[in-house]
Amino acid sequence: MAQARLARREHLTGWAFIAPALILLGLFMIYPIVWSLWMSFQVGKGMNLSFGGFANIERLTKDPVFLRALGNTFTFFIIQVPIMITLALLFAVALNDATLRFRGLFRTAIFLPCVASLIAYSTLFKSMFANDGVVNQALMALHVIGGPIAWFSDPFWAKVVVILAITWRWTGYNMVFYLAALQNIDRSIYEAARIDGVPAWARFRYLTIPMLKPVILFTTVISTIGTLQLFDEVYNFTAGTGGPSDSTLTLSLYIYNLTFKFMPSFGYSATVSWVIVVVVGILSLIQFLIARDRRSS
Amino acid sequence: MSSLTLRGVRKSYGNVEVIKGVDLDIDSKQFVVFVGPSGCGKSTLLRMIAGLEHITAGDLEIGGQRMNDVDPSKRGIAMVFQSYALYPHMTVRENMGFALRFAGVAKDQIARQVGDAARILALEPLLDRFPKELSGGQRQRVAIGRAIVRNPQVFLFDEPLSNLDAELRVHMRIEIARLHKELQTTIIYVTHDQVEAMTLADKIVVLRDGIIEQVGRPLDLYDDPANQFVAGFIGSPRMNFLAGSIVEKGVDTVTIELANHGGTRLTLPAGGGAVGDQVALGIRAEHLGLPGTGTADITLDVDVAEHLGSTSYVYANAGGEAVVIEREESRHETGKDRITVSISADKAYLFDSKGQRLR
Amino acid sequence: MTDTPMTSAPARPVAATSILPGNPWALIRRGIVYLLLSFAAFVSVFPFFWMLVGTTNTSADIIKGKASFGGAFFDNATTFFTQVDVLRVFWNSGFIAIVGTVLTLAVSSLAGYGFEMFRSRVRERIFALLLLLLSIPFAAMMVPLFVMFAQAKLVNTYVAVILPTVASIFIIFYFRQATKAFPSELRDAAKIDGLKEWQIFLYVYMPVMRPTYAAATIIVFMANWNNYLWPLIVLQTEDNRTITLIVSALTSAYVPDYGMTLFATVLATLPTLIIFFLLQRRFVEGMLGAVK
Repeated sequence: MAQARLARREHLTGWAFIAPALILLGLFMIYPIVWSLWMSFQVGKGMNLSFGGFANIERLTKDPVFLRALGNTFTFFIIQVPIMITLALLFAVALNDATLRFRGLFRTAIFLPCVASLIAYSTLFKSMFANDGVVNQALMALHVIGGPIAWFSDPFWAKVVVILAITWRWTGYNMVFYLAALQNIDRSIYEAARIDGVPAWARFRYLTIPMLKPVILFTTVISTIGTLQLFDEVYNFTAGTGGPSDSTLTLSLYIYNLTFKFMPSFGYSATVSWVIVVVVGILSLIQFLIARDRRSS
Repeated sequence: MSSLTLRGVRKSYGNVEVIKGVDLDIDSKQFVVFVGPSGCGKSTLLRMIAGLEHITAGDLEIGGQRMNDVDPSKRGIAMVFQSYALYPHMTVRENMGFALRFAGVAKDQIARQVGDAARILALEPLLDRFPKELSGGQRQRVAIGRAIVRNPQVFLFDEPLSNLDAELRVHMRIEIARLHKELQTTIIYVTHDQVEAMTLADKIVVLRDGIIEQVGRPLDLYDDPANQFVAGFIGSPRMNFLAGSIVEKGVDTVTIELANHGGTRLTLPAGGGAVGDQVALGIRAEHLGLPGTGTADITLDVDVAEHLGSTSYVYANAGGEAVVIEREESRHETGKDRITVSISADKAYLFDSKGQRLR
Repeated sequence: MTDTPMTSAPARPVAATSILPGNPWALIRRGIVYLLLSFAAFVSVFPFFWMLVGTTNTSADIIKGKASFGGAFFDNATTFFTQVDVLRVFWNSGFIAIVGTVLTLAVSSLAGYGFEMFRSRVRERIFALLLLLLSIPFAAMMVPLFVMFAQAKLVNTYVAVILPTVASIFIIFYFRQATKAFPSELRDAAKIDGLKEWQIFLYVYMPVMRPTYAAATIIVFMANWNNYLWPLIVLQTEDNRTITLIVSALTSAYVPDYGMTLFATVLATLPTLIIFFLLQRRFVEGMLGAVK
């Protein structure tokens, strides 16, 4: 049809623009993902794989190390994400006050941790949380603790360091999103509310929070994915072991170890990686549903 | 000679048809204005002429050549956009010469053509500025200059004045009219503002829902609208429409009874219609005369009166049916609660229930 | 782009009632806010200070928590320079980060522009699929990816590090979002001016979107410079290591020499710190880009 010549050319041009990206994504993302899905049904060591059906899934349920890693990941996620989101929101609202002095300074300072690479900051934390290190010294000087805490050799405190570290690194990042969203809110909405006699807490509860909801949801999803993929920090803290006694072993670290540390077990490690995919999917869905539910009610 | 022709032109997006068969001849050097409410398809039609939207069916000819499949740059058109679409990273000079650069025109030739266009629009002092350093009116002139440089057969303007404030709009309107006189080229101009249409056009094309409602010279449309839509769209304030029904039919006349005016009857020259038909009587605000001067008098409750000095507008109603009355002098009369006005049958229009004119 | 938080917003005299004199509660509340923010700022900045101090102290002093400048800077530097081939390491990191960034921006901005400007039902479906893929963790593909590169005999090459990062869904998404703000009338005008699609991209889109490219450059460069897991897997010989891998290797030593390690950490962090302080605004814009 001659009529459609221009239309067809435009259509082809559209494909031309996205083709390089699609080819690369297909090759280095979609193909590996599909392959790993297929792998997750294979059993065997090294490259000697054979079809095992649901054998890997069965193995998951009986693998104490996997269950440990899953539990650790959940602990990090459930405790860390809410703390960080709350802190970020708090800082953002405080810094959004135009009458506050040194706003720029505070903002830059709190954002600064984002500049450090995951490896760099985990190195810093490892040295700061040494047994006689600066953190213990400071806490003892302030009489918060009597004796030094064995941060990296106690399973409980090791987890605490990980949570503190992630919170340090990412709070400023999330805060910036909230600040940007707050600045996009039309000021006259607040002025109208004040003239209507709405008290400050109610302005926060009924104006700020609902208007920030999309951003809060977005950052929660991002943080969830990030926490479930936790690797660099724990690897660096523990030289790849996830110790002490697997107390900081995360799913990603376990997959890495299954593949590259022990006798490679590609099929099983692929199965573990798909656990993350499924968990991320479920959690994102739940968060999305919660956000939608609150909106409708 | 016709410089641009549309034959059965249609446009659909999927199942939605937005231009439903347009036939139009535009003569060389004519200033044609497409006017209509938003969503009527006027901008789409313009973009189809430009080659920015594909023509689903029908033919477009410019200068006698079929242009349906020709690249926008080879149609002999230039376009001025609503947002001006100046390239923000280029100076005024570069903006104006950009098309020529890609047409392979020699540098000194580009400089000459840009210089000529700049002179016509008094843009010379601005040539080395960037768009962000210009005022709204200046940007508008640069956009027009960029179009002039290409020396097109047809200029296309897409609501070019809608981003300007009221005063500047009047100023630029006059400037565009002057340019048309000076350049002697065909202009197709899209607007939703009927004042722009009335003041600029040689020929107005009124569009609604992808269909041409009427084509004609501005005053012809004003004096002799083909249907109720055009009657209501052209003219400010809007034409009044009084509901009624046909009670009697003569040879070349019909007699109607107005619904909200206590059985007031008027006889108008018109064929068509049948006794019992619902009709609308259209009459412009300035044609509602002093009592006793016309065919029939009606009395209305005054809601508000606006005094603009030379003119006053009285907003009145009868039984909820709004009527606007324009009065040039007698201000005192407009201060009352009730007002009596007179309808002249020869200044009134009759429309049937489908909005078509009964002549 | 519009105002971003790092550029100080114009101070407007609003909320003035809360600091009216004679309102003690407001004053106390304000005091608490300052206290809280100061504490947060201190905690945020202290590790950086610690890092700088650490380069001047011996490893023994560092793990004893010495938080003042010492005299071991040159010892640390010397140890580091003798143990690590610095030029080689920086060449590795720099090459990977710069080439990776250029390729990523080219491929991903083309795709972002293509998705936004040339809409079709199929392409919209593909884009939606890509967004879904965004949430699939790297762990789920790293094993096959490694096997692929091993089979292609590309392990320990720059190509292996760079190639999988080039088509970044996040950056494609970022450019698509940014392209929404690109006036489509500009493209129309360019078409009427006789430009072909690739010329519009090159001569109109790219110059107009320079701020977007700048912001994306920072984000991608940082990601590449700091990338860890994939290089860790695919770069297994000493002479291919990036600075990030070196820092990690030094930290993971059985008895880490923290003086030298923190010196290495400073070197690893310096480029991103410099970029941050020079281009703070673009930095944050890049970060926010995807949600706008």
